[in-house]
Amino acid sequence: MNRFKSIALVLAGTVVASVSFIATANETIKIGVSQPLTGAVAASGNYVTQGAQIAESFINDAGGVLGKKIELVIEDNKSNPKEAVATAEKLIIRDKVSVMMGAWSSTYTLAVMPKLMEYGVPMVVETSSSGKITTSGNPWIFRISPTSQMEAKSFGTKVDQFKIKKADFIVVNNDWGRGASEAFQEVLKAKGISVGTVETMDAKATDLSAQLAKIKSSGGDTLFVTSGVEQITLVLKQMKEQRLNHQVITTGGSSSPDQLISQAGAAAEGSNHLLFFAPWFPESAPNPSVATKFVNEWNKRGHNFAGLTEGFRGHDGIMTIAAGIKAAGKNDSKAIQQALWDVKVKGVNGNIEFIKQGPAGKESAQNVPNVYVVTIKDGKIALP
Amino acid sequence: MAEFLQHILNAIVLGGTYALLGIGLTLIFGIMKVVNFTHGELYSFGAYMIFMFSAMLGLNFFLAIILSMVLGVLLGGIIEFALLRPLRGANIDTTMLVMIGAWIVMQNLEQLSWGGVAKSINHPFPLDPLVIGEVSVSWIRVFVFFFAVILIIGSYYLINNTKLGKSMRATFQDRDIAALMGVNINRVYTATFALGSGLAATAGALLGPVFVVTPTMGDMAALKAFAIVILGGLGSIAGATIGGFILALAEEMGAGYISSGYRDAMGFILIILVLIFRPTGLFALKERYG
Amino acid sequence: MSRWISILWLAFLFSIPLWMIDLYVLHILINTGIFVIAAMSLNLLLGYTGQLSLGHVAFFGIGAYVSALVSLGFDLELTDTYTFVFDAKPVWIAFLSGIIAAGLFGWLIGRVAFKVRGAYFVIVTISFAEVVRLVSLNWIDLTEGPMALNNIQPFTLGIPNLWEMTLYQKIPNYYLVLVVAIVCYILIRRLVHSRIGRAMIGLRENEPLATSVGVNVTHYLVIATVISAAMAGAAGGLYTHYFRIIDPDIFLFIYTVTMVIMVVSGGKGTLAGPIVGGIIFGLLPEILREFAAPEMQWIIYGIAMILIVFFLPDGIVPALKNWWKNHRSKRTDSAEMDAGT
Repeated sequence: MNRFKSIALVLAGTVVASVSFIATANETIKIGVSQPLTGAVAASGNYVTQGAQIAESFINDAGGVLGKKIELVIEDNKSNPKEAVATAEKLIIRDKVSVMMGAWSSTYTLAVMPKLMEYGVPMVVETSSSGKITTSGNPWIFRISPTSQMEAKSFGTKVDQFKIKKADFIVVNNDWGRGASEAFQEVLKAKGISVGTVETMDAKATDLSAQLAKIKSSGGDTLFVTSGVEQITLVLKQMKEQRLNHQVITTGGSSSPDQLISQAGAAAEGSNHLLFFAPWFPESAPNPSVATKFVNEWNKRGHNFAGLTEGFRGHDGIMTIAAGIKAAGKNDSKAIQQALWDVKVKGVNGNIEFIKQGPAGKESAQNVPNVYVVTIKDGKIALP
Repeated sequence: MAEFLQHILNAIVLGGTYALLGIGLTLIFGIMKVVNFTHGELYSFGAYMIFMFSAMLGLNFFLAIILSMVLGVLLGGIIEFALLRPLRGANIDTTMLVMIGAWIVMQNLEQLSWGGVAKSINHPFPLDPLVIGEVSVSWIRVFVFFFAVILIIGSYYLINNTKLGKSMRATFQDRDIAALMGVNINRVYTATFALGSGLAATAGALLGPVFVVTPTMGDMAALKAFAIVILGGLGSIAGATIGGFILALAEEMGAGYISSGYRDAMGFILIILVLIFRPTGLFALKERYG
Repeated sequence: MSRWISILWLAFLFSIPLWMIDLYVLHILINTGIFVIAAMSLNLLLGYTGQLSLGHVAFFGIGAYVSALVSLGFDLELTDTYTFVFDAKPVWIAFLSGIIAAGLFGWLIGRVAFKVRGAYFVIVTISFAEVVRLVSLNWIDLTEGPMALNNIQPFTLGIPNLWEMTLYQKIPNYYLVLVVAIVCYILIRRLVHSRIGRAMIGLRENEPLATSVGVNVTHYLVIATVISAAMAGAAGGLYTHYFRIIDPDIFLFIYTVTMVIMVVSGGKGTLAGPIVGGIIFGLLPEILREFAAPEMQWIIYGIAMILIVFFLPDGIVPALKNWWKNHRSKRTDSAEMDAGT
């Protein structure tokens, strides 16, 4: 009997405590951000968040949106899909945001998507690459990052310069790595290039010697690597240890060549990287002034230069959202959703505008971003 | 053939550090009956320490390894003193939960103090590998392997030929009788935990420069150490050493000839097979009712 | 008296959706409820038989995956010419399939893992969970691996207009979780008061003695594991149709840790323990989210774990019970003294 009483007390206490947390109305326009700030992919999530905060201050310095300042409400999705759902619930219901940006990994984004339908809130997707996100019929999705297919297709136009005869793959064993390997294989096969062995690695794996020994015996000449910068570093170092002389091409835009140069040293020499932003050459970006301003502010804040290739996503995402709110003329989810279809934003990556993807009547929005290739030559980043 | 030999060589080199991780854990496990979830964090602690001493403060690389080792021993001693000593006599799940809590706290303290971005440590060895016929291995890994072997032999000597080792073995056999015979159980426990932690930290300090250093690097290491301990049997240094090499071999061969996706499953599949076909374990000293 | 408090308590739980306008709180309660069910199932194993399974999330995840797959349908290319096609089934059939599959898996693991005890058992159960995780990650034809199974149907069917359906989604889900939790609670209570339950507790207290008086140890442990696994599978089914996405991260070790800390902090081997612990550790992360930096949330969570185990090693419920007993006996003492004067 007493145990029930105690349960009742505990529950009542916590519920009262939770209710009292309900935020009061505010003068600012709130934008929800769900990013992995702790856990396995925390580094990238923090970079994106830093980029988003730069966009926030740019917008507010220029007078805000609709006469109000914007305010980012940043939640940690803990590198975990269940927590990603919790952040969406919190941002939408508790903080009453009308629009969100998130959620880095495709899995976290897919987890959040039913919530967007449930509450009718648009979300700008800044990083995820899975094709499923824009083809599953969720009209609240506005993706500014490319799918693996788009990246591979864009690479297809540049493939001749690499003179590939037989390609091998080593990809991280998640939606991103698997998706990239499928998309690039398709493009290569269409070009008549044969595919050797396809190896996967756990996201946390550090010793890749077994996979590399196998790749060495496949007789290919080019190795496609898709993973975060940490694992790319390991692949490059361990390739050198095993005298694997493949030409390296990294995909996915998370390779951060500066970090590779400082961490893999000579092992990084000659590797090629597909990127969505080349921060060394902001002047040759499609919108040089936007890119330069962003890079300068990033450096001024003392953020890690190597993080720029991730951080720009946060900037472009928030800029797109701000343009959507401005075009909608009010801070209302439905209006912002409609307005986002017509926005044209000068972003760091390039001009952002949306095309329709997915089943008719409930299409998702997809931007067609630019893809760049850089090469590491003499310990410096160069355009090939 | 070259691929096969390369897999074998990789397995031998990797097995050395696996053994080091396993020995630390098996001592703590066997003697103290503590399922030590902080083991992986000691591993990453060692890696961050060598990063601090070698990459940030610019100390000599080898001196940095020794310092990381010493600090690992110290940290292990502190954890034992602060968290485990007050719980002496508590059952296995109580101490395990405390260790899990400590693991969560330590991992996030690491991220708080070092950030989530991976750190890389330069080492004084040449980048070009040592080439033997058709196979090759990097010099740093050769160094790591021999350093690990020396430590394994040292631990073996410590357990079998010193007074402390004798007390530890006595405690492993029967704690109550050892206490009656005048063994200072508290001292044995602290020494065991400090030693095990020191070995984990050393493994981290050795592998940090080979790989990269991240706050979550210890998770995988801890899981592997658990697998090694089960393969080798509780409290057996020889068992953990062989277990480490078996695991490395199974992983290399599994990734090379079955599927790289199942590489990390190899250790666990081995455990399950051992249990089904030989429930007393490969090298069990005691029956498995630890 | 006790009956009245139970009824009041139930009435309170049933009334929450009527006055709780904040749907976010409801989401937290649903999420917490799912994990309370999982914790109750773990308690059967950990609390009543004394076996610490750190692979409990495997049952949870298998229930979730089977339930998702049965409700979505799947096809498997068994040979080049023959493809096994499984059509989508209604959600309630999927839910039951998940429970049965988890139970069967519990039987299998029980047969193998109970050959060992103590620390070995702990590691073996972790191994099982890891193997299952890696299978779900790599058997892409079936589980889509890391690409995740998404668009899983929610429990509520009906109105084809999605907008209206989703509007009412949380409240039925809340009641569903509540009803499943109550059913599990009643089942566990009946079980531990039955002959099987007494045999299990006997095992926990003194295994050699129980064996010597003729208790078939493995038999009872396997029964407990099957029931416990099936309940965890039910929790997994609730999870999968509420969150509507499932990927190999469902097998994350941290979920097992969450379940264990819920049981131990509340009081293992008590009926109310997992509920009390579940509510505390289900709500704690959400409360921390409001005012602590991301890493600090985890650090506080870890410290809370350590402190609870340190100061209330038997759990909150037994501690409260003792306090109440002492309090009462003191009161009766003083009452008697008053009468004496």
